[in-house]
Amino acid sequence: MTKTPRLRVSAVAIAVAMAAAASSAAQAKTLTISWWGFNGDKLNANIVEPFKKICGCEIVFETGNNADRLNKLKLRDGKGVDVIYLSDSFSQAGIAGGMFQKVDAAKLPNLADVYDLAKDPQGGYGPAYTIGRVGIVYDSAKVNPPITAWKDLWRADLKSAVTLPGITTTAGPMVVLQAGKQAGADAFADADKAFKSVEALKVNVAKNYNTGSEMVNLISTGEAKVAVAQDFTLASMKAAVPTMTWASLSDGDIATLNTVNIPKGSENVELAHQFINFILSKDVQQINAEQGVDAPVSTKVQLTPDQAKVWTYGPDMIAKLNRLDYVKLNDAKTDWIDRWNEIFSR
Amino acid sequence: MRTTLHPALLMIASLIFAILIAPLFIILGASVSDTSYLTFPPQGFTLQWYSNIFEITAFRTTAITSLQIAFFGTFLALLIGIPAAYALNRFRVRLPSFLSNVFVLPILVPEIVLGFSLMKSITIGLDLPVYTTLLMGHTLLVLPYAVRVVGASLASFDFSVEEAAISLGCPPLKAFLTVVLPNISAGVIAAFILAFITSVNDVSISLFLTGPGVSTLPIQILAHMEQFFDPTIASVSVLLMLLTVGVMAIVEATLGLTFLTK
Amino acid sequence: MMKRLTPWILVGPASLLVLAFLILPVGATLVETFADPKGWLAPYAAFFNSGFRRTVLYRTIEVSLITTILSVILGFIAAYVVAQMPARWKSIMIIAAVFPLLTGVVVRSFAWLILLGKNGILNNLLLSLGAISEPLTMLYTKGAVIAAMVYLFVPLMILTLAGVLEGIPKDVTEAASSLGAPPFAVFRQVILPLAMPGLIVGAVLVFTGSFTSYATPQLLGGESQMMMGTFLYQRAMVTFDWTGASTVAAIMVVVTITIVVLMTRLARRMNPMAA
Repeated sequence: MTKTPRLRVSAVAIAVAMAAAASSAAQAKTLTISWWGFNGDKLNANIVEPFKKICGCEIVFETGNNADRLNKLKLRDGKGVDVIYLSDSFSQAGIAGGMFQKVDAAKLPNLADVYDLAKDPQGGYGPAYTIGRVGIVYDSAKVNPPITAWKDLWRADLKSAVTLPGITTTAGPMVVLQAGKQAGADAFADADKAFKSVEALKVNVAKNYNTGSEMVNLISTGEAKVAVAQDFTLASMKAAVPTMTWASLSDGDIATLNTVNIPKGSENVELAHQFINFILSKDVQQINAEQGVDAPVSTKVQLTPDQAKVWTYGPDMIAKLNRLDYVKLNDAKTDWIDRWNEIFSR
Repeated sequence: MRTTLHPALLMIASLIFAILIAPLFIILGASVSDTSYLTFPPQGFTLQWYSNIFEITAFRTTAITSLQIAFFGTFLALLIGIPAAYALNRFRVRLPSFLSNVFVLPILVPEIVLGFSLMKSITIGLDLPVYTTLLMGHTLLVLPYAVRVVGASLASFDFSVEEAAISLGCPPLKAFLTVVLPNISAGVIAAFILAFITSVNDVSISLFLTGPGVSTLPIQILAHMEQFFDPTIASVSVLLMLLTVGVMAIVEATLGLTFLTK
Repeated sequence: MMKRLTPWILVGPASLLVLAFLILPVGATLVETFADPKGWLAPYAAFFNSGFRRTVLYRTIEVSLITTILSVILGFIAAYVVAQMPARWKSIMIIAAVFPLLTGVVVRSFAWLILLGKNGILNNLLLSLGAISEPLTMLYTKGAVIAAMVYLFVPLMILTLAGVLEGIPKDVTEAASSLGAPPFAVFRQVILPLAMPGLIVGAVLVFTGSFTSYATPQLLGGESQMMMGTFLYQRAMVTFDWTGASTVAAIMVVVTITIVVLMTRLARRMNPMAA
């Protein structure tokens, strides 16, 4: 794409650019964003249209899930996209693959108002713009006594009642880490022990899930009554089974961050920084939180208890979250997938 | 006089169709349920999940892309596939026998690897526009149906009828269109339906061949399902069924026209 | 001479498309699997040295073969009956056969949960009839995967065969019957040979389709019934190990081609009359 000579930005060029917006290759002032593509209409009103007015640029999107978009970026050698939204385990994989450039924090003044956890989660690369958590959800009408710690997953009364996230999902490896802790070992240092403990958990598993919708279906049809899940799935589960409850775990939930990064082949680095700064601003964070789009990372956002109910919100809750070492995790992943497959396919 | 069917045969067939249809009622029910998750029997009634498809911009635009790609891709595949199927049957002795299996390759190679390879060598290697590669990829994907399903119909066709027409002075193309094509119309329709559906439903090829600014409906639905678990996916299935009834009515009507002009 | 070239001109465009958009790109990807520094067959040795991976391969072959056999039999019966129906009914039945193909895999497996799940309709029925005392486990088994795939591939079989059976002239079967041939002999000696090209094409489409599928086995079989498609997907999309994924793909392509060729040969041997 660099083969094409760049046009000098002028009023004429912008007019031409707008006329030919379909191809992003030739125009300098087109920001290409790679993101999931859900909530498009709300994000369009809250982020895209306001930002277009500020930058006077066009915005084009590539949509798809984490794995798809990162794979495509890798194939294009880090080119073709200016900003990429990813969950933290995938952005770490992108960093390891040398696909991103470091961000210039001086160009992101809004970082000052962001929780420390989200400021610089991956060593100089992109910040997180939203935060979530992984924990245990259970049907309080059928599970007695309540679940209060990760080790409760191994309880004998939960035979064939649990659905775990598959090893290839965001939350899957977290189960392995907790299994390690249950066995008194660090899963990174002693994978054998951790997976012995995963094996002990197998009798309690009804079926593992690979997508959020699959998990909600398993809960709503009564195939499972306990799930290790991400927080944004709770509302749907509660709608189906009102007694589904987010367990208050003594050893804490696990944080999940969604990050924004600038690929190394970006042709609009300045604009990309400007965009990232914009989505971290209090106004954008506030309106996205109020409309149920994304949980805020800006400390300036104020939510009513009702609005905050669905989110990972406020300094107290955020301070209690556990963080995962994705550098170690991504190194161990291939081995863990094999081990996990061998246990659950037997 | 029609061949009479053995009652046992009729019963088995009825059972097969009953089983094919049964899950559809569940999907239909779930698609109108006024809940934020899939459920059956439906609770309440709403058409919200149907209007979602028309109101959410991303669904609307990608649905148009998907239908365009499926239509043109199927059309192109039939355009080059029917002559190939014809040649493979008519000139069987003059063409190498492995050739007919070459046309199965697009569904034989795992789709993810096909998509990956296409993106690497065509989209990036040749720097072709995203839409063009997407269209060519889909044409390739549905080509097996065009060649093999039409070919199966041609296998039982008696080519001496065509030869008779040609020897009586009918130009070969006209002989094909007026003698051969009407006799294999059922096969062409079957190939059209299978190809169109395969294209409209495809995820794996599209995954790699979509790019900035171009996406397809199944990809967009998957994106939606990452965050929402509502019955939109059920309503999409029902809409596709309605669309198919429409398309098939059109196909039958247009084929009816060619019968009239014959 | 023009006439000699005609067949090649007719197959030309389609062959070129397959060559340029499949054989060359995929070939380039597969060639890379032989560039392993540990030896050109190292990735393949690694695959076959793992008991788990061999199990996945055998399971995939087994499930696909059973799916193919069942789909061929059931599809043939259904298509045969469809072909005997009056025109109006024929269209309705064809449309009905197409509908299952239009349902998304997630929503379809939801329907299976409702029908066959722990608290599903079938279990509730059997419980209330007193036929069973505990809900049966019908999902997440090999049987569930096969059933779900047969459900998906019978329509394909019906559509493929409908076109072929349509082409069999009625007077041929009637002539045979009127000469006193019993129904089974008519089937065995007249209908089956004429339908054989359709059966072969259908079987090839079903086998290749089930061999590469990954969403259905994953949703209805879970990890305990993992098939090659899911395994390949994990390699490619989750661990970004495209060499590993291409190795799996190469194995899948070789196995499929072998089985397709054997299947075609076998079918032709059983039926010398067919092409």
